Amino acid sequence: MPGPYSGQVVRVHAEKSIDEQSERVDAPTVREMISHGMRSLTGDSDTRDSWARFFSSADVVGIKVNCSGAPGIMSTPEVVGEIVRNLGVLGLKPNQIWIYERFPGQVASAHYDRFVPAGVHFWTAERDRGSIAGYDPNTYVDVNFFGEDDTRSNMSRVVTEHFTKIINVPNMKDHGAAGVTGCLKNIAYGSFSNVARSHSGFKTNTYSFIGTLASVEPLRSRTVLNIMDGLRGVWHGGPFSPSRKFRFYPKQMMFGTDPVSMDRLMLDVIDGKRKAEHATSVWDRSMAHIKAGRDYDQNPNIDRFVREPGHIEYASTLGLGVYEIDRIQVRKIEL
Amino acid sequence: MLGFFLAALLPGLYWDQGPKTADVVRQAGIERVFVPAGQEGAWKTAGIDVQPFDASKFVKLPAPGVERRMNVAAATSMPWVDANGWRLERAANRQYYYDVPWRRAALAAAEASMYNVDAVVHPEPRDLTAFGEMLAFLKNIGQPAMPVMANIAILDDGSEETGEVLNLLSRRNLLYRIVTAPDPKYDLNVQIGDKDFPKDEALDPFAFATMVRQKLTDEKRLLRIYGSEVVLGRLNGDSRRLRVHLINYGGGKIDGLRVRVLGSYHHGKLAAFAIENPELADYELADGGTEFTVPEMGAYAVVDLEQ
Repeated sequence: MPGPYSGQVVRVHAEKSIDEQSERVDAPTVREMISHGMRSLTGDSDTRDSWARFFSSADVVGIKVNCSGAPGIMSTPEVVGEIVRNLGVLGLKPNQIWIYERFPGQVASAHYDRFVPAGVHFWTAERDRGSIAGYDPNTYVDVNFFGEDDTRSNMSRVVTEHFTKIINVPNMKDHGAAGVTGCLKNIAYGSFSNVARSHSGFKTNTYSFIGTLASVEPLRSRTVLNIMDGLRGVWHGGPFSPSRKFRFYPKQMMFGTDPVSMDRLMLDVIDGKRKAEHATSVWDRSMAHIKAGRDYDQNPNIDRFVREPGHIEYASTLGLGVYEIDRIQVRKIEL
Repeated sequence: MLGFFLAALLPGLYWDQGPKTADVVRQAGIERVFVPAGQEGAWKTAGIDVQPFDASKFVKLPAPGVERRMNVAAATSMPWVDANGWRLERAANRQYYYDVPWRRAALAAAEASMYNVDAVVHPEPRDLTAFGEMLAFLKNIGQPAMPVMANIAILDDGSEETGEVLNLLSRRNLLYRIVTAPDPKYDLNVQIGDKDFPKDEALDPFAFATMVRQKLTDEKRLLRIYGSEVVLGRLNGDSRRLRVHLINYGGGKIDGLRVRVLGSYHHGKLAAFAIENPELADYELADGGTEFTVPEMGAYAVVDLEQ
C-alpha cells in the first residue's frame, strides 16, 4: 500500500446489485461490477489480464473479509465468491486461497462456504476470544495506551507465514470509535491481536493506531488490492448491525490499491447519510453526545466514543495513500 | 534482586465430611489432612493420620478467582482478579486457610504453593479430586530452593492504602519484595510518603502502580506476560536457573500465553497442570531477554529455565 494506483479509485454503482427489501444480492450484477471495476482500474480490456497484474498461479492469497456486523452486514458472500472465481481463472487452486478474519462465530454466520469451491481455507485467528495462538509472536506493535500490562498487538500468523498477497474486502460502515471503518481499519484491526484496548475509554487511540498497524510489514506490502463492498452500508451503530434500522444501500463497490483514497471517499458517503438522517456528523467531537451504555443502539445522536475519522488523514502521513480529495482521481461507472 | 526463601510445604486439606469418607480422601492421595477437633481417633481407626484443625491459628484468605464487576465503574474493562499474593508477600511466615467454592480448590493450592506459604484448603467435597491432582502436580514439580526474584523493594507501613498498592503491583506483574529499609540492590525502592512517592498518590492505587511502573520502566521488568489479563507470575532463581510460576485466576484454559523474562536462558521446560505433554513454543532469546509461548495452560504452570 498504496500500490501502483496511488490516488486512484474506481467506483462502480449498480442499482440492481441488491434488493433493499429482501437484501437479496444479484450475483450476475456483482460479477459485472467486479469485471468493470478491475478493468477500469488497470486499463485492461480483458478481466483476466487485470487480475493477472496482481496475482499469479503461484500465489497464496488471503482475502481479508469483514464479518464484525454479520449476519446483518459483512463482506458479501457473492462478492467474495466472485473474487475467488477470478483467482481460479488465473490458475490458483482452492487450497491457495484463504478467507480470514479474527473471530470464528462471525465468519460462520456469513456462510461463505456456500459461495466458494471446496478446499478454500477458512481461517480465524482466535479460536477463543483473546487467544494468541494464531498470532506471530515476533511481529507486533508495542504500545501502552492506558497502563495495560499487555502492550503488544501481534500480526496474524497467516499474514506473516503463509500469504504472498492479500485482498482487502471491507464494507462501508460507521464506527463508533474510528468514525468510519473501511480499508484501513479492516486490514489493520482485522490482522492484529489485542486492538480493542485502543478504544477502552471515551477518548480513543484509534487516530494513530489504525494507520500504524496498517503500515507494518509484511501486511503493508502484501495487501495489493482493496475491493470495498458497499452494496450495504451502516450509517450508525457500527461496526455492528444488530438491526436494519441503521443499514442503508449505497449499491456500489470501490476498487483500488490506495486504502487512504478509498476511505476518504467512503467517509463522505457515511457522513452524508448521517446528515441526511439528521444525525451528528462523524466529525462532531462534542462530549455532549457521548454516553455510556447501549443507548447508541437506538439513538443516532448518542455515541460511545469521540469519533476519530482523522485516522484516515493520519494514515496518509505514514505514506499509505493520498488523502486530499482534490488529488484523488475517481472514475465512476454506472451499470 | 534476590529475596529469601522458605522450605516447601504442600498445602493441607481441611475435611469435615467425617471418617466415613476415608476411602475418598485416601484415593485423592492427600497427605496432610486436618479435621474438626475431636474426630482424630475415628479417622485413625479408619487408617488415616489427621490433625485437629484450629481456626484460630490460621489467617483466612478470600477465595482466589476472577469477578466481572460490570456494575462498578472502572477505567478499563479489565477483569477484577481476586489474588492473595500481596497478602502472602506481606506475611509469608503465617499459616493460611482457604474456604473456597467449587472449582477453586486447585487454584488455592497452587497460589499457596507459588508463594511458598503454609496453607490449608477447605474445598467443596466435589472438588476433592481436583485438589488431590493439584497436590500431586505440585509434589511432582517440586520446589527448588531458589530465592524469590524481584526488582522493586517496598517499605510496607502496614496500611490499607499500601496493601492496595501491593495488590495492584502484583496484579501488574511488577515483581517486588517487602523490605524494612531501602536496599540498593533493587532497581527501584518505593517508600510511600517520601518525595518520589507521595502518600496522596497512593489514594489512587491504580495510578500509583502506573507511576511505579513508569519509574522502573518496562525494559527493566523481570517478567512480562502477554495474552492474558488474568495470569499472574512469580520468579524464583539463582545465578543460572530460573523458575517462572504462572497462575491463571480466570477459571478456564488459556489458549496461548507469551512470556518474556529478563536474561538469557538457553533451555526451557514447561510443566502445566492438567495438560498432557506440554511443550514451550516459539522459544527465543532476544534483546537481553528470553521469550517463549505457553501454548495451553489451566490453573497453574511452571517453566524451568537454565542458562
